[in-house]
Parts: sequence; structure tokens; C-alpha cells
Amino acid sequence: MTSTPSQQEPIQPLPVAGYVWVWLALMVLLGLTLASSYIRLDGFNTAVNFVIAGMKAGLVAYFFMRLRSGDALVRIAAVIGVLWAFTLTALTLVDVLTRRP
Amino acid sequence: MNATSATVRRNTDEEVGLWVFLATEVLFFSVLLFGYVVTRIHHPQAFALASKHTDIVLGSVNTAVLLTSSLTIALSSVSLEMGRRRAALWLLPATLVLGATFLALKFLEYAHDIHEQLVPLPWLHFSLSGPDVAGERLFFYMYFVMTGAHAVHLIVGLALVAAMIVKVARNENPDHSCGAVELTGLYWHLVDIVWIFLYPMLYLISRT
Repeated sequence: MTSTPSQQEPIQPLPVAGYVWVWLALMVLLGLTLASSYIRLDGFNTAVNFVIAGMKAGLVAYFFMRLRSGDALVRIAAVIGVLWAFTLTALTLVDVLTRRP
Repeated sequence: MNATSATVRRNTDEEVGLWVFLATEVLFFSVLLFGYVVTRIHHPQAFALASKHTDIVLGSVNTAVLLTSSLTIALSSVSLEMGRRRAALWLLPATLVLGATFLALKFLEYAHDIHEQLVPLPWLHFSLSGPDVAGERLFFYMYFVMTGAHAVHLIVGLALVAAMIVKVARNENPDHSCGAVELTGLYWHLVDIVWIFLYPMLYLISRT
């Protein structure tokens, strides 16, 4: 039986320099989100801030928390909390935004 | 062994268990997020006005401090996996110092908030007097509850990191220490991620 490529070639651990690059990317994103908040974006400031926050959180989770090389079960456990949070947030918003006074 | 990358020695069972715990933490902070979203939907202008009274400099510096502490604790875990215990014994205390710095700056900010009369308790004078004072008070309720809950988590993280320093220094069971530091790092990173979202929600609503 032939094994899948992922079984033959496990993902290589991130080199130490890679962690420093991720940190630099986080600092650049921090600078971007701070700078963007001083620019009037016609109501899109919050969206931009949340997209950048999502990118920062993604970098921390994928590289620093090592979901990049994590077991499938670990990745499922990691994603499930976020999925529930999204579901509950969406249901809350559906309620709040559709209420009539 | 490759000198620049770690050998993976991870206990998947322990990691899954901790991730499930972290999922419950995500849901805990989600409840606070719901409260924030609902109150902000009802008081958009008040939140924008009140947010300008948070300290953008301290908030931004603290974000950088916490992101850096995530790097140091991630590297301490990698160092242990590479057998570089001495490096880990520098990186773990560095994480502790960065975390303590974050808390010190946060408490300094609280002191400024108290001095500026921004604490929305019924028996205290609240200095803001915009067109929607109730909304401004709600913003600062959310600000203190969310940053307070985060600070409590960070204090727990500091205690865990301190315990890891002792554990690694004693070097009684290197493999177990390696796994314990990895799990402590996962918790620490989650506390960092929570702050990554609190920062724009509380400090960057309206700066134009």
C-alpha cells in the first residue's frame, strides 16, 4: 500500500529565524492597524482593524502555537472553539439586528 | 540534529486536552464580545467618543510587549526541544519580565483612568458628559471588565511561567519540562490573541 505524501514527508519544524520573521510581521501589522485608525475610511475602520487582528491571531496560532505542524486532532480541537464563537456571535447579531422597537 | 530547528517531541493527547480547555476560554471571552457588540450597536457614537479617552500610547506599547512575549515563550519551547536548556533559562524569565511589564503598564493606565474619573461606578463621579452618557459609561464598563478578565488570565500565565522556570532550572525530567513549557506557551499565546482583539475594540474605535 502506498502512503500519502504527508505521511512520507512530515512538515519541517520552523527554524528559529522563522519565529523572528513572524514576530516582525506581527509588529508591521500592529503599525498598520494603528496607522489605519488615524485615517478616515468611511465606516470601514472597524472592519480593517478586525481583519488585521484576525491576521495577527492567525500568525500566532499557526506559527507560535504550531498548528502548522500540529496533529489533525489538535487542529480540530483548535478550530472548534472558534467555530462555536462565530456561530454564537452570528446568532446574537441576527437577534439584535432584526429586533423592532 | 539540525542546529536551527527543533526536533518535534510533542504529546498529542496533552495538546488536544489543552486546546479543548482553550476552546472554553474562547467561549468565555466570546460572551464578553457579545456584550461589547450589542452595547456598541446601541451606542455607536458614545463608544467612539469614549474610546478616545483610552491611552493609545500605553495600549499600543502593551500590544507590542505582549506580542514580543509570545515570541520569547515560543522560542523557549523550541530551545528546550533542541536541547538548549540554557537559552530557555534566559527566554522564560524574559517572558516573565515582559508579562510583568504589560501588567505594570496596565495598572498605570488604570491609575490614569481613575484620576480622569472614568470609572463608571454609581458612587463615583464620571467625568464624561457627551450626548449619550449612558453609552459612554457602558463603554467603560466593558473596558474594565474585558481588560480586567484579561489581566487575571495574564496573572495566571505569569504564575505558570514562573513555575516553568523552576521546573527547567531543576532539570529533573527534561522531557516532561519540555512538554510542560509547550503547554504553558499555548495558554500564553491564547492570552496574547485575546489582547490582539481587545486592542482595536477598546483603543482604535475612532481616532480620526
